[in-house]
Amino acid sequence: MLLENKYYKIVDSCGEGLNAVFRIVLLPDCDVYRGHFPGNQVCPGVCNIQTIKECVMQLTEEKLLIGTIKQCRMTAVASPVVCPEVNVTITVLPIDRGFTVTAAITDTERTYMEYKGDMIVDSILP
Amino acid sequence: MVNEDIKNLIPQRDPIMMVDKLIDVDGDVAVTSLTVRDDNYFIDENGLLAEPGLIEHIAQSASAFAGYRAMASGAVIPPVGYIGEVKRFHCYRRPYVDDELRTVITMGTEIAGVTVITGEIRLGDEIIADTQMKIFIEKNS
Repeated sequence: MLLENKYYKIVDSCGEGLNAVFRIVLLPDCDVYRGHFPGNQVCPGVCNIQTIKECVMQLTEEKLLIGTIKQCRMTAVASPVVCPEVNVTITVLPIDRGFTVTAAITDTERTYMEYKGDMIVDSILP
Repeated sequence: MVNEDIKNLIPQRDPIMMVDKLIDVDGDVAVTSLTVRDDNYFIDENGLLAEPGLIEHIAQSASAFAGYRAMASGAVIPPVGYIGEVKRFHCYRRPYVDDELRTVITMGTEIAGVTVITGEIRLGDEIIADTQMKIFIEKNS
């Protein structure tokens, strides 16, 4: 995993089969914040996309690639200060060669990301 | 040919600088480049650039284009931009370390601070990823 225990840490998870909720802590000391942005910690949206991907890999126990993103909306600016802990809620639907993934990153206050797209089992793409 | 240090055009810094050069600007179209290095933030255990790295490269390419326009209008520091939406992203293949990406950004019209852009990443003649994106550019930053 590229970002687990570096950018985020899973503290709890529940659900099984095709649905799960991962409770994660956003790690404020992650080196990505040196550059995004200097003096102004903001979660890179793409790191949250990678986090969703890694949670889907945990749920499905498959190594996956993002083949397509139908739509991913970043609906609020996230940071370890604004939202130190968030829920990553995932629903997957098996398709040929992978999964259609619907996911959201939320806390009790806000929704930070809404995501829908297809992830395919690694080794299909070079 | 644009001859401007990329750090003057985008606010991101190491370890998440995902564009090397703004090569050309022609109207609403810009061309950027990135050579994938082994210390890139999104390199996986197989030496491939993960897909979110491709998305960030497109976003920062658009940011460099917006920074170029802001500088041309008299800005002193590059504006901060945020991704608002990624739509119709496709990854056809991932690049390896040492691959040189060449990316074309087409900037749409800005409405209420939101600009729709399209980005297409090529490796040689091959399109390896493309997407639409909405970006928010902060004013007066």
